[in-house]
Parts: sequence; structure tokens; C-alpha cells
Amino acid sequence: MSNAEHISPLGRGLLNRRSFMKTSGFALGGLGLAGLLAEEDPTGFSGKQPIRPEIDPHNPYAPRPGHFAMPAKQVLVIYCPGAVSHVDTFDYKPALEKQHGQKADYIPKVTFEGPPGNVAKAFWDFKPRGQTGKMVSDLLPNLAALTDEFCFFHALHSETAAHPQGENFFNTGFTMEGFPSFGAWVTYALGTENAELPGFVAINDPRGLARSGNNNFGSGFLPASFQGTNFTAINPPDNLKRPEKFAAADDAATVDLLKSLNNRHLEKFPGDADLAARIASYELAGKMQTSVPEVMEVTNEPQFIQKEYGTESGSDLRKEYAKNCILARRLIEKGVRVVQLFNGSDPSGGNGITNWDSHANIKDSHAMQAEIMDQPTAALIRDLKRRGLLDHTLIVWATEFGRMPFLQGNGTGRDHNPGAFTCFMAGAGVKGGMSYGASDEFGFKTVDNRTSVYDFNATILHLMGLDHERLSFYHNGLERRLTNVHGHVVKEVLA
Amino acid sequence: MSRSFQIIAVLLCVAAWAVGETHWSFQPIKRPDVPSVKGNPIDAFLNVRLARTGVPANGPASAQDLVRRVSIVLTGLPPTPEEVRVFETRYAKDPEQAYIRLVEEQLGSKHFGERWAQHWLDVIRWAETNGSEANLYRKMAWVYRDYVVRAFNEDLSYDQFVREQLAGDTLGRGEATGFLVSGPHVPPATVGQIPEAIRQARADRMDEVIQTVGSSLLGLTMNCARCHDHKFDPVSIDDYYSMAAVFQGIEFGSRSPEFGPDHPRRQRGEALLKAIENERKKLHGTGPWQEDWGGYREVHFGAAKFKAIRINFKTPYVGVDELELFGPDLKQGNVALASRGTKVSGPDHMAQRGRTTVSRINDGEYGTMAWRARAPNGSQEKPWALLEFAEPQTVSFVRLSTNREYYYEVDYLERMPGLSFSHMKIEGEGVDGKWRTLADTHFIEKINKERAVRAAPLKAIQTHISEYEEQAPRPSFVGRFVDPGVTRVMHRGSPETLRAEVMPAAPELLAGDLKLNSKTPDAARRARFAEWVTARENPLLARVMVNRIWQHVFGQGIVLTASDFGKAGAKPSHPELLDWLASEFMMPIRSNATSWSVKDTLRLLLYSDAFKRSSRPAKHGGDEALLWRFPPRRVEAEVIRDGILRASGKLDTTLGGRSYRIHNVKKTYAQWKVVDNHGPHTWRRMLYQERMRRVDDQIFTAFDFPDCGQVRAKRPVSTTPLQALNLMNSPFVVQQAALIAERAESEAGQGAGAVKRCFELLLGRAPQAAELKASLAVSHKRGLKFVARALINSNEFAFIP
Repeated sequence: MSNAEHISPLGRGLLNRRSFMKTSGFALGGLGLAGLLAEEDPTGFSGKQPIRPEIDPHNPYAPRPGHFAMPAKQVLVIYCPGAVSHVDTFDYKPALEKQHGQKADYIPKVTFEGPPGNVAKAFWDFKPRGQTGKMVSDLLPNLAALTDEFCFFHALHSETAAHPQGENFFNTGFTMEGFPSFGAWVTYALGTENAELPGFVAINDPRGLARSGNNNFGSGFLPASFQGTNFTAINPPDNLKRPEKFAAADDAATVDLLKSLNNRHLEKFPGDADLAARIASYELAGKMQTSVPEVMEVTNEPQFIQKEYGTESGSDLRKEYAKNCILARRLIEKGVRVVQLFNGSDPSGGNGITNWDSHANIKDSHAMQAEIMDQPTAALIRDLKRRGLLDHTLIVWATEFGRMPFLQGNGTGRDHNPGAFTCFMAGAGVKGGMSYGASDEFGFKTVDNRTSVYDFNATILHLMGLDHERLSFYHNGLERRLTNVHGHVVKEVLA
Repeated sequence: MSRSFQIIAVLLCVAAWAVGETHWSFQPIKRPDVPSVKGNPIDAFLNVRLARTGVPANGPASAQDLVRRVSIVLTGLPPTPEEVRVFETRYAKDPEQAYIRLVEEQLGSKHFGERWAQHWLDVIRWAETNGSEANLYRKMAWVYRDYVVRAFNEDLSYDQFVREQLAGDTLGRGEATGFLVSGPHVPPATVGQIPEAIRQARADRMDEVIQTVGSSLLGLTMNCARCHDHKFDPVSIDDYYSMAAVFQGIEFGSRSPEFGPDHPRRQRGEALLKAIENERKKLHGTGPWQEDWGGYREVHFGAAKFKAIRINFKTPYVGVDELELFGPDLKQGNVALASRGTKVSGPDHMAQRGRTTVSRINDGEYGTMAWRARAPNGSQEKPWALLEFAEPQTVSFVRLSTNREYYYEVDYLERMPGLSFSHMKIEGEGVDGKWRTLADTHFIEKINKERAVRAAPLKAIQTHISEYEEQAPRPSFVGRFVDPGVTRVMHRGSPETLRAEVMPAAPELLAGDLKLNSKTPDAARRARFAEWVTARENPLLARVMVNRIWQHVFGQGIVLTASDFGKAGAKPSHPELLDWLASEFMMPIRSNATSWSVKDTLRLLLYSDAFKRSSRPAKHGGDEALLWRFPPRRVEAEVIRDGILRASGKLDTTLGGRSYRIHNVKKTYAQWKVVDNHGPHTWRRMLYQERMRRVDDQIFTAFDFPDCGQVRAKRPVSTTPLQALNLMNSPFVVQQAALIAERAESEAGQGAGAVKRCFELLLGRAPQAAELKASLAVSHKRGLKFVARALINSNEFAFIP
């Protein structure tokens, strides 16, 4: 976009010389700036030089090439707010069975919510699954059946033990607020494949937004064009529909008049890119009024799909989440660059269980949450694979941290554990049937191939063909990145 | 040469030696010669560059464009059709005089301060919620917003504006310290109980303060030096923690702002207290009474000297964070305080969980550390508290609360905290050693019914109390003060790896030794820092501010990176002009100008030819920074919303006060939900829309309205289909389009007249023949409101011409 202050000092110098900006209908690409910016930077930036996406102000969403070729063109993030217990799902710890009900010397005096209780074994039985024999618990039987597709990260650790900061950290790379989300970074870099749908869609939980709200899919200091558009299978984006009182002809008349007014105005400012972009945005909005309701029509899917996803059985929340899963598949099918699907809200929504947070009665609360998440999510992954979409789509299943191998003082719940947790990836570019890294024998801390959230995000970007050290945006004195100044790509998981 | 100037010169030499050449912005400001003595000095500087590059400047803009441009730049409001007409008439007679009159009228408008306050609030990401999970409302934080509006309207000199924001508590402008706590913060409840996390959260809050001060005043990205020496600028990790030491006495929270005797809020508060006192006089002799002050309750009775006071609660459970005893002379203060030798006792066996003993009620601390007592089931004895004075004291009323801190800080939540006590009997031991009943709340209720004479004064008191809550000095989210203690460098930014002690100071490179130490009290640290930062030797303060002013006038700064004047920032496009402006800002030599005057600086800019140029593009495509034309730009969200309301005639132009609310009343850990973003209660300037971190208002957030998470020197300008959808279909626009059409028809009748009026109301001009024809067709077939809807969405409406 034509916000010159966000270009690196070197880039600004070049632009000044080339009489940058609005009058010429200019696009960064026209100057081949990306190449020029690889030159030496006079301000002494060390490390790799940023690669700027070549954004056409007429069409900021036009697809753009990545930094290098990789199979993943789209990404689906399934985010589970509240912190899923790794020791009750994917990270099998037989040692906990021996210690069950006992004190242990590694238990700290105080954890996030206060004084802890005794060690507790997993609340569900673990069984070997698939060809790899991966041990997964009975809590998530449908996902368990797909483990041959998954690449587990068992040695993840976070910088915070609080949910909102943890959500921020996972989704924006910073515990503090106001930084661009992962999806915003990716659409900023790559644009999108379908010109008639938003490039980045955030499908929020039927119960509402997660604790960090809009920050999880916001654009931070990137242009607002790249923020996630918030809609679900039931709720369209704000103000998408023609106002109820208006007839189609009312809209057509408004649009035609607007067009003629804008065209006359543009005659006074020939070639002005900002004005032209705004005219184009109205055209795109018009297209979205048709294309978004179309993609939302999940009930038109055949019966076997409805059944597989579970839109007609189970709890009401499960039915709604299942519809969102179908929506996610339809969006990926249509070429939307980033789809972020939430399975959980802040603690005020729903029927008492609002997300994976389980400080008390983990057995009930995780079970309720799993009932909602398991079958539809598994169906979504299977469906994507069946349609060949996993060839170019990366799936990321994530949560902000893990839960403790011991109980809280109340004896029924597990507290937050930022020391070790598990997420997984699947699909384009990533090895299936793989487990990377390990937590200690209790699942308390990571020990082997420790993976920071920065590393995890760097790896996702890499899989999308983006160098996390070169995808940056100048803001207030720094080249800001999704991975701050950290992060290493985990090469071992690349297919 | 002043002493500090010598120091800075020496230091700069040292620094130059150390880092090679001193970066331009750290060098002292030297007043450059104006290239030409004729005309506006700004044009003189700009014309040199234009002449050198051979880019021809545009001619003057039309009167119609000028009036719209000046009006939006200065007040954020597009002109009314009447203002346009008046200006055009005057302009035809005498362009120069007409223009001067226009600029002076707009500078004198009360809306000027609203517009420029919005810019300042952006810079410091000020908001009325704290962000993070609970995103709680910051009660009465808006007193700071009103302060900023007033400061710009009164053209408070910028150095004084800065001093007050840093140390307003010492200057009778206590609410100005809202500046320091403008950033987001995580409240204790969501930090958790791990001590390391609690320390980290405090360090994060300090970082927000340093970000605010560093970027807004100095244009320095100080926070880059939190973990290690700054990568690009000569700011060391020691500098960072020295500056942290200056502000270590600040904590995010509320306090009752210190107001000078001339402060309108203080005067109003005093008047209300007097009115309440008058009503109380009417109650004297009619028996005791109670007053409900929201956060606390008062029980009044006849003044007398007592050796002790005893409160007998009548319910089995009580929670009291503080119990205070006052006499008619408020100057004597709370005589219940333990620090005044008063001894407190109560039924120890009733105290909950051991740690909530009765001593909490006279320790002088409000908040969660309260006395919580529960009588055993079936017990005749209920909780009670006995306060025995060291010397007999005159007492006339009791004031008690359950969690006064929470009440002052929390608002708009579904479950507001109440008082955890109800009926009580108060007894006093006279100097004669005899106990007697002073007040019994059951008895009070009884006599309230029986003695009719009490009704009017009791009602008047409660009315005044609610007025007092809104209009008087009240606890407001403008920061609270804590013991600053000793500050140490945090190795790699971690509070767990403390290193050497540092003294409160500004960056060494800028001669920032403030001659302070770890024993210097908080207020003195900030006051001294304020002196340092506003000293004319400081090369950054004036440069940064004149650049901000320039940016808001011309669309981009002489330095593009308005909050980063360091090495990673942009270089000035016109370095001499910037320094000349900064010199003039601090010490003007032109006649009739005052030091540090924002309005005088704006006069300079707006009276230049550069500002008055036509914005039309030209084939030569010269660099915009040369200002061969006035660069047109899209207006901000506020200008669109305010402009629509002005066009419909519905804009309520009341200045200041509580913000209007578009969201729900929520549970503590819930997200705010927008419930009404368009009803009549929202028909105020958008500056007064409760500024909520992270809340999408479902219309204007899409227009790059900041999320207030990170400091923002300039809003990005992006174009998205969501903006189009919001401006076409939102209930606000739909309703306003109808109101504009209604107004046009009532003022100009049906048909062409009404269409013309719509153009005037929204675009400040009459339609051209083709426009009129097309619009009339729409008006006939579909209705005039669709013409208004199209105009609201037009590019012409959204751009400064």
C-alpha cells in the first residue's frame, strides 16, 4: 500500500528518488523493488534483508509469489483456546500411572492458579493407533484414527501461563497486544487465490470470540486490508447483506449513481491509485455479497457429508461447530489463503463449558469439549484429503499451552503448563506419522528437540514458502516479524 | 551558553567519537537562515527544493476546496453549506482577508481541540479499557481526554502540556498523568499467582510507560533497549532502566486527581459539597441518617467527643475493607486509622480464613485486603468492631466500604460489586465513660418514614451525590502512585536476572543525568525529568512535535517515521525547514507568535502557499514530499462519521464528558459486544465513542481505526471491501441517509432543490448538470435517501481535496 513510512529506510530512499506515490498509479512491483532491497542497507540492519511483497494498490489481494517454492499454498489453522491437556490426549506418559495420587519432587509450590495437588494419570486410556502405533487416548477417537497423517510436536513450550497472552503469543508471536496475526502476515505476503472472497477468514466458535478476541486475527500495524474477516456458517460478516428495507433495485441505483459520481471525480485526478483502489473495493464488495452467502450454504452439502461431519447429531454446539468445519473446507476449496477455525470461546459463552480450560472437573470439561471438536475436525481433515486439497493445504492444530501432570489443590482439574505441550500439523509439505521432540517422562517440561512457538511459526511460514526472517514490516523503529528476533525452521518435519 | 548546553555539547562530541558521526536528530537544533526574506518562510524553504528539482508548483486551490481542506484539517469537520457560502462570498471580494478569517475562525472553534486531541490520543494509543482478556473499562479515564481537548483548545504551551502529563500531580493538573498509563495492561487477576509472572507483568507495564514517553515526546524507540543495548541508536540497556527508574512510582490504576483551585472540576466539586452540607444542616436535630456514596456508605449522627466507637453489625456476614471516622471538621481527617494510635478489636473467631482479621479496617488500605467475618450458625453474637482512640476524638459520621478500590476501577459489568454489610448499630463511649447508641439503621429507616421533614433534604443529598460522582474530582484511571524503590538493570529484560542499580535519568546521549538517586521521591523524579525533557537544549522534543503537526496538516511528516527519529527512522525530506520550524516553535522571532504554541505553528503552515495549492495531479509526477501540490488523502474514520452526522443536522456538539457507549454491559471475562452503534445517543463526535481496545465497532474500525495495542505514529490508510459494505449497509449509514434526505426535503422541497441540498450538505457544493440529472433520476425512481447514500460513499466525501 502507499504507506511510505512502513518501507525500510533503504526502500524509502529509493522511492524518493523514483518519485513514489499516488499520482502515477504506481505499484511497488513496477520498480522491481524486491530485488533492489536486497542491496546493502545503509542503516546497518544486520542479518537478512526483508523481502517486500509487491502489492498492487488497485488490488491488494492479488496472489503474490512466496520467497521460495513450497507445496503449501493455503493453510487451515484449527485453534483450541483454553489449553488442551497434552498428557490426556497425544503425549502418552506411563510414568504418571506409577505416581498417580502421590506427591512428586518436581511439583512447584505454586502454579498459575495457586498451590497444586498430587500427580494424576491420564483420565482416558491410551491405545496404539494406525500403522505407526502412535499412542493416543480415547478422548479423541476420530482424530486418533488419523494419526498416520499427523506430525506431532511434543516439545513445544510457551512464554506465558495466561490464556490471553498465550493466545496472543501463538497467533501473533507476541504476548502483548497490537501485533499482526499469523493470518494477516500470510495474506500480506501472499495475497489470495480467490478474488471474490476475503483472503483470510476467521471462523469463530459458535459461543463467541476467544479470550484475545480480534487480536487473534487482527492486522495490528499492517494495513486493515489484511485482517481476518469474521464469519461462521450461520453468521455472515457485518453489513454484508443489503439492508432489509431496501429492494435490489435500490441497491443497483445507489451503486450506479456512486459509480458515475466516482468516475467524474476521478477525471479530476487521472491515474490516482488511492481513488481507483477505492472504486475497485466497491466492486469487490458487490461480488462478496454473492460469493460469501454461496460459500456459507453448508446445508446444501449431501447427506453423507452432513453425517460424516456430524451436523445433525450430538450436542447443539457440536452441530454448529460441524457446520463451521464444512464451511472451512468450502473456503479452502475456493482458494481462500488462510482459514482459522476456533474451537472455544472466552469464558462467558455457551453452556458453562466454553473452551478447553479445565481447572476443575477436567474429566467432564475435556469430555464435553472433545465431543464438540473430535468428529467434525476429523471429518474435515479426511474430506480435505479425499478431495486432494491436502496436496497444497497445510493443516495446523494448535492450543496455547499444555496442562500439568498433577492436579490442582481442588483435586479435580489440571492447571496451565507452559513448560510442555503438543500441537500437530498435517498436509502439504509436512511428514505424516511423525512425532518430533519429547517432553520429560511426566509431560512437565520439554527435554528433547525443544520447540518454541517461534520455531513452530517459523516452520509454518517456511511450509508456505516464506522466510520468517525476511517477512517483515517496518513499524516504529523496527523491522517487525511474526517471530520477533527468534525462531528456527524445524527441518526434520519437512516432507 | 547554558551549563546544560555545554554538557550536551561535550557529550555529543564524545558520542560522535564513539559512534562515528552523531545522528542528525541528536545534534543540537541550530536555527538555519531562511532562504528568502520575502513571503512565508515555509514557502522559502520548499521553493529552494522545487527550483532545484525543476518541478513546477501547482496554482492555488479553489475556494470550495480550501474551505473544506482548512475545516477538516483544523476541526475534523467538513464545513456546513452556510460556511462554504460565506467563505466563497468573502473570498470573491478579498481572498487574503477571507482566508485569514477562515483559518482564525477554525482555530478558535471549540472543535479544534477535539480534532487535535484525536491525533494525540492516537500517538499514545490511549483507550478506555485495559486490553487483555477481561479488557475492563477504565473508569473515568475520559477526564484525561477532556484535559487534552482543553489543552489544545486553550493552546496550552506545548512544554507545559508535556510537564503536566509527566507530573500534573505537582502542578494542579492531576488528570494529565493519564498520559503515563495510556498503554494496555494485564490486570492482576489474569496474571496468575506465579511470582515470576507477577514480576514480569510489572516489568511489562513499565515498558508500556517507557514506550509512551519515549515515542511520543522523544521520537525514540526506547523499548528496543529493554533486553540489550539498542541495535541502531545509542541507547543502552542502562539508559532504558534509568528511564524506568524515573517512572517506577507509577502504577496502572485510579486515584483522585490533584486539581488546582482554578480547575473547573474542583470548583464544581466544592460547590456540590457545599450544597450537600446545606442539606445536611436541614437534617440536624431530626435524628441520624445514612448516605449512599456508591463505593461506600456514611452514617451521620450528632457530633460529640468520644473515647471509643463500636459498630455492631446485625447480619452474620460482613466484608469491610476500611472503616473511617470523621468529625464535622474534615481537616482532622480519619481518626480511626491505626497510624493515629487507634486500637481496633473484634471477634477473632469469626474472621474468615485467618488472614482477614479486623485490623484490615483501619490500616488505611482499600481493596481486596478486607476484614471478612462470619458468625457461626445460630450465634446470637454477630460481627462487631471496637475502635478505641488514644485521645478522645470528635466524631460525627462513619464511612465504610467493602472494596472501594474495585468500585472505583470497575464499571459496566453485569455483576457490580455491592456492599457486604447492611444493618448496623453504632455506639459511642463518651468522655464520661458512658456508652450510648448513636445510630441504628433500622431506626433510621423508621424515622425516614415518620418524619416528613427529612424527605426533601435526603433526596437532595442523593441527587447531589450522583452529580458529584460525575462532575467532581473522583478516582479516575489516570495512574496511581507506589513506592518507586530501587531500580536495577534486568539482564536480557528478565526481572529474574537483576544487575546493577541505576539512578533515575534520561538517556546519557542526551545529557540525561538528572542528579537523582534511588531515594528521590516519585513526584520529584518525574518533575525533574519533565524539566529536562522540555529544556530548549533537548534536540528532540520540538523537532518531534513540529513534525507531528506537519504530518497532520500535509498528510506525511518531514520525517516520515513520526515516532522514530533514530537511525532506523526516515531522514527528513527538508532538514533545514524542520530545524527552522523547531526553533520557531521554541523561541519564535516572528512577530505576534508565542513559544511552544501549536496554534501559532499551524498558522505558519496554513498561511503558506504550499498549503493553499491545488491538489490536482500533474504529468511530471514530482515527488509528493516536495509539496508541489497539496497531497489529497482519505480522511479518518472520525471525519467520515462526524461529517455524516453534521450533514443530517443530528450532530450533538457538546464538548467533553462521559463517552457514549455502543457496547453491552458484560460479564468480567467476556468480550464486549456492540449492541447499538447508531442510535441517537451515539450522535456525538466520534472522539467521544468509548475508545475500546480491540473492539470492532462494526463500521469504522475497518477504516484503520487503531486497536490501541501498539503506539501508532500514523494511521495506515487501507482500502478494503469491508469498508464499502459498512458504508453501504450499516444501520448507521442507512438511517443517516434517510435523515439527510428528510432534512434536504424539509429545507428545499421536493425534486431538484432537495438533490442540490444533499450535494451541499455532504460535498459542500452544488451538483453539476450531469450529476443532477443522474441523481434526480435515482431520487424519482427510488427515493432521495439513495442519493444521500451514494454521496456518503463517494470518493469526494472521503478525501480531503
